[in-house]
This record gives sequence, structure tokens and C-alpha cells, in this order.
Amino acid sequence: MAEQDWGSEQYVLEHFGGFYSTGAQHVEAPTEIKQREFGFLSFGGRTMFRHIGFEDTEELRRYLRNYSPAHSYFSAAYYQEPRAPMAEKGWIGADLVFDIDADHFDLPCQKTHDRWTCKTCGEAGKGHPPERCPGCGKATFAEENWLCESCLDAAKYEAQKLLDMLIQDFGFQPSELSVNFSGNRGYHVHVRSPLAKDLDQLARREVVDYILGIGIEAEYQGLTSRQVGGGSMLGRGGWRGRTIRALYDFVGKSTPEEIKALKLGRNTTRDLIEEKDEILSSLMNQHPSRIVRYIDKKSMEKLLDAAVDEQASAIDTVVTTDLRRLIRLPNTLHGKTGWLTQNVPIEDLPDYDPLTMAVAFNEGTEKVYIKRAPEINLQGEVYGPFEEETRELPLAVAMFLLCRKSARVVR
Amino acid sequence: MISEREAAKYPFLNDAVTLVETLGLTLEDLMDPGHTKVLDRAERRVAQAIINGEATSELGDTITELLSFPVGNMFITAMGEQFLFRRYALSEAVRAQGLLKDETEERLAKIARLEFGWTLRLVDESLDGRLYRFELLFKDYLRNAAGFREPEWKIVNRLMREGYVLLTRREASRLLQEEIQRRIADLVSRRRQISLPGPLGAKVESLKKFFDENRSRLTGEDLPSELMTEAFPPCIRHAFEGLMAGKRLSHMERFGLTSFLINVGMDIDEIVNLFVSVTDFDEQFTRYQIEHIAGLRGSRTKYTPPTCSTFKTHSVCYNPERLCQHIKHPLSYYRIKVRDIQREQGPESGDEAPNTQAAK
Repeated sequence: MAEQDWGSEQYVLEHFGGFYSTGAQHVEAPTEIKQREFGFLSFGGRTMFRHIGFEDTEELRRYLRNYSPAHSYFSAAYYQEPRAPMAEKGWIGADLVFDIDADHFDLPCQKTHDRWTCKTCGEAGKGHPPERCPGCGKATFAEENWLCESCLDAAKYEAQKLLDMLIQDFGFQPSELSVNFSGNRGYHVHVRSPLAKDLDQLARREVVDYILGIGIEAEYQGLTSRQVGGGSMLGRGGWRGRTIRALYDFVGKSTPEEIKALKLGRNTTRDLIEEKDEILSSLMNQHPSRIVRYIDKKSMEKLLDAAVDEQASAIDTVVTTDLRRLIRLPNTLHGKTGWLTQNVPIEDLPDYDPLTMAVAFNEGTEKVYIKRAPEINLQGEVYGPFEEETRELPLAVAMFLLCRKSARVVR
Repeated sequence: MISEREAAKYPFLNDAVTLVETLGLTLEDLMDPGHTKVLDRAERRVAQAIINGEATSELGDTITELLSFPVGNMFITAMGEQFLFRRYALSEAVRAQGLLKDETEERLAKIARLEFGWTLRLVDESLDGRLYRFELLFKDYLRNAAGFREPEWKIVNRLMREGYVLLTRREASRLLQEEIQRRIADLVSRRRQISLPGPLGAKVESLKKFFDENRSRLTGEDLPSELMTEAFPPCIRHAFEGLMAGKRLSHMERFGLTSFLINVGMDIDEIVNLFVSVTDFDEQFTRYQIEHIAGLRGSRTKYTPPTCSTFKTHSVCYNPERLCQHIKHPLSYYRIKVRDIQREQGPESGDEAPNTQAAK
């Protein structure tokens, strides 16, 4: 059978249509719908239908019912004329948006469910593709990326760190924040606040650097070589407290072997092991500059890097700095999973499980032939791994495999 | 009401502008010999902007000082040089900042709130041996500090809590300088270019001549016409080599590389061929995008590559070298490196005569 039949597009389209015939009623319009641009990708189509505007929620729902798009987006930006070409839209402002995508992380589980194949020589491996193919030195790869509970938990953890920073450091009200499961491997966080709306690109880049901890320097975290007075910074808000707490945790929990493995300066390594109690007590009771004499400059940079990595939230840098970004519309379907993009109340986030809650096609079964797929845990049941086999599966699982183009319907 | 002295110190403040308006001076009045001092001082303001980028305050004669500001603005507008709008605004803002940093906290706060809409609180907090006197809402902070290059201005290195950033008095006045610069740049660039009569026009002509004599020193040198790949900064080299190996570049890498190649003078056809030969990109689509970046399509803006700090944010910055610590733009790296290489090769092999440009 021809390659293009993988995914049984027509079948998926019909099911999306079935979903939207009732499901469109649950799609809520974003705030200030008349100032938003909408964009849609259809099944099989390669270009985005952009520059679409709606007068009200009903018009938006009607569009979804009529076209059942594979992917639905709206602009983080507000425009005077959302339907006009980009240069004439009249940018008014934009929500501050963050995208967390587990695809960008380095996780152990990716070694079990992701694969790459070199397009030049056919060499293949597990996990993320290497910088260059070890076989032929080229760098063009075909990637098969999947997801599991671990990736989604990792993404959720990053989202929670992000929310902490937005609320505690930036002072946004929880009511100004909304969190959406992306429908695939991550979360989107939207900030709708008058304080965020007219931030320009430069300002948003600074926000990104803050969330990622880019550009942190020891000297400005109180770790100055000239000793100054003042109390401990452990309980302090912002990065100041975060770096010092991370340093404290790190020094406290590391064994001498772990410290040696970091390959810090010789004196630093010795002091971190022999003067550990003294260092911890200094961090607990005194200004952080007290510990600088134990740690040389290079070592401090390494320690800070490790500390920052743990405390930062791994957001995508491009999405937040793009003033005209389109973002997935909540309660619409994601064409690569058949799951919902779903709003999650902040207080429910800790217990939220997308693999149960965001599944859209709950009823029925379908018989599919599966090319290859790793194990997938959906609604509490484990399916697969599959390899070149025909199976009758619950519709949710079948749709997921079809949307990922790893299966086709067998009739 | 603002005092004449205060208005002379900060002539861009709304109260100062009102004060000048109440005097009701016309262009004819200004051409009267009685106002020669005002015209001379205005000319000096512009000349100081051109030479030093920093005007000095002359508060001995406050009314002349005050009136010379709008006249200086008028000269700048009439000169119609984009480059000077910014430089003059900077020069005046630096002058004002020199005075602001010695004002009381209350006075600073008043100007910041009333004139520039800052959400600002007075505090008294000593930390790291520094005395913090203000807390500024992050949005107002970023509007002014986001473009600064020094690490101590990055919010990640600031003390911030619940949206407020701590500032010393000196830092607050430095941020006000940015607001002032923006206001003045707006003031001189928004007005329509006019031709001034009589002695006013004569001043403009002589200032134009003066600027022309200094132009090349101020606006920087041009790049060599020959492409020198060995002078590429490490980030661009990395992206370039990645592309050659068939690596899928990120959006920012593609944009950075393309705009860099365009700006150092690579031919559009060559760039298109480069992308098409090593990727499976469609030629027509690739050409369209590259021509867009080159300013031949769409908004007709020729894009310059992103700055180093943008590259850092998007992890395009790669293995920074020592030279990278001293520059903030990939093109500056290229410019300096090209000069170094040409110097090494000796003057006869370079296509530029030595000493055409003094390093700034």
C-alpha cells in the first residue's frame, strides 16, 4: 500500500468532524475575540489558513463545525484589523505566552520511545539525533518522536516552576494566568495582564532570559569577592534566593565523589569537602559573599550553571519573543494526537493527567494495522509496543496511532 | 509652576515646555539680534552632540539655556539627519542625567511618576553594601533597561520581588535618561522638516557642514566587498557548517545566518543555491524568504542579523571567543576580524587603504 495511506486521513477527518458537531459547543472564544487573528491547518494541507477573524464565539464554532481543522490556533496578539495582511493589522499588544515542550528536553525516557534514522546512510539510533551522524558525518535525520507519562510529568514540572516565577517574582495574579495542556507533549501558559500586554520584543527577551536563568552572574547574586555584611539570602525571593538555595542544596547533598566528578579547582574541591559544614552554616546565617573565599571563579561559574539548570523553567525561547505568535485554541483537537488542547485550572495542575483527561475519542474500537509504535499508556491502560501488526484497539488509541501516521485503518 | 532654573535644567519636562510657550516667542523674535545668545547656545548644543555626544549644562544664564533647547531641537529637525536625531537626544539626555543624579529621591520620583508614568515606590534597603532607594515596576524597568548590555542590568541579576525591581538613586537616574532620550528623539523626529529663514537657516547650514566633516568618524566604516568566511564569528561559522552538513537549522539560526550573509555582501543567488543544494527546500520559496530578509520584498526592510544577546537567548551563540566579550553584534566581530586579517596580510593585499578609518 502506498506510503500516503499511513494515518488514514479521510477516516481521521470524519472523526474530527463528528467530534466538532457537538464538541464545537465547548470551544470558548479567547478574550477580545474581535481583535484576535485565527489560523487553521487542514488535513493534508501544507499551508496555514491565516488572517481569519471572527465577530463572536458562534461564528468561530461554526467554522470548526464546517471545516473540522486538524489544528486550530489564535493569536496571542491583539490587532485593530486581524483579517488584514500582517503589515496592516495594527498591532495593539499581545498576551505574554510561554510554550513548554518536552521535545526540547533531554530525558531518559526518550531513549526508550524516540528514534532517529540518518537520511543519507540509514544509520539509526534511539533518543534525540546526534549533532552529526556517526556513520557518515551528515546531519539530516528522520525523527520519530513519541511521548509518555514521564515526558508529560517533566513538562508539567517545568510549567509549575514557571508559574512560581510569574506569580512570586513578576507579581502576576493567578487570575491573570491560564495554563493549557498543548494536546501533545507540553503546556502553554498565557499571561493576560495590562502589565504584559505592551511589552516589546526586547522586554520579552529579558523575561525569557529571566525564566531560563540566562546571563546570571555570581557577582550579582551576592557572591562578590569583596565581602559585605548583611544576612542570609536563603529565604529571599527571586533568583537571588533560588541560586543560593540551589547552592546550599547542592553542597549539602553531594558526596565527596560527586564533588570530585565536577572537576572543579583543586582547592575548591578540597574546601567543598572539608569545609562543608562551615560553608553550609555561612549560607544559612550570613551574606553569601562569605563563601566566595572557598570557591574560585571558574568553579563558581560551574556550580552556578548546575544550580540554575535545576531552578530554571525550560521554556521555548521563540514563542515568547514572537509578538505575532499563533497559539493553540483550547478545547480544540490536536491533529497529531487526537487529544484536546485543554485548559487546566492552576489549582488542579498538580493532579492533572492529560493521558486521561485530554482524550477526546472515548467510545468504540477500530481495527488498525500498525507500522511501529512504542508502548503507550492511555486512560490507565497500557498498549503496545507494536510492530507490523493488525489490532483492534479502543478508538482513542487507534486515533492516536493514526494521527501520528504510524497506522492505517483496516477495513 | 516650575522655576526658570528648573526648567533650564530639564527643558523637556511638560512644565518647562509650557513655560516656554507662555513666553510666546515667534521665529521673527528669534532672528532679532537680542536673541543672538540663544541661537549661539542652541548651535553649541548641536555641535556638542556631534563632537562628544554629550552636551554640557550652562546654567549661568538660565533663560538662554531654557530657550536654546527648543531652538536646538528646531535645528536638528531642519538638518534632517536620522543619525543625529538619536545622537542629539542622547547628548541632551546625558546632560540631564548629570544633574538628575544629584537630585533628592523625592524629586526624582516626582519626575519619574508625573512625566514618564513610572510605577515607583520609595524604599530604604541596604543590600550587598549598596543602598537601594526605589522599587520600580518591572514593566517600566524593562522599557528602559532591556536594551542595556551590561550584565548588572539584566533582571535575572536584579533583586526583584512581586514585580518590583530594586534600584539605587544613580540607577534610577540612569533609567530616566533613557526616557528622556526617547522623548527628545520623538520630539525632533516627529516634526516635519522645515527650512528656516535668515540667521536661523545660516546656523543650520553651518551645522550641516560641520556634521559632514565628522560624519565618517561617527557613522562607522563599511565592510569589505569580498566575502571573508575566515572572519565569521563562531556562531555564524557553526550555523554555516551545520547547514553544509545538512543539519536542520532552527528558525533563529536560519534567519541569523541568512541576514548575516546578506549584510556581509553575499550574492542572493549564492545564498539561495547554498540553502537549496544542502536541504530539501523548495527553491522558489527559499528565494522568496531570502529576498524578504534582504528587503527586496514585503515591508522592504533590509534585516540586520540579531544581536549577540538575542543569539544567547535562542542558543545560537556558540563557543564565544575572547573577541566576543568585547562586542555585542556578530557583524562587529566580522568587521574587526576582517581588519585584523587585512592588517596581518599587509596593506597591499587589502582592498582598502589603511587609515581610512579611525577606530572608535
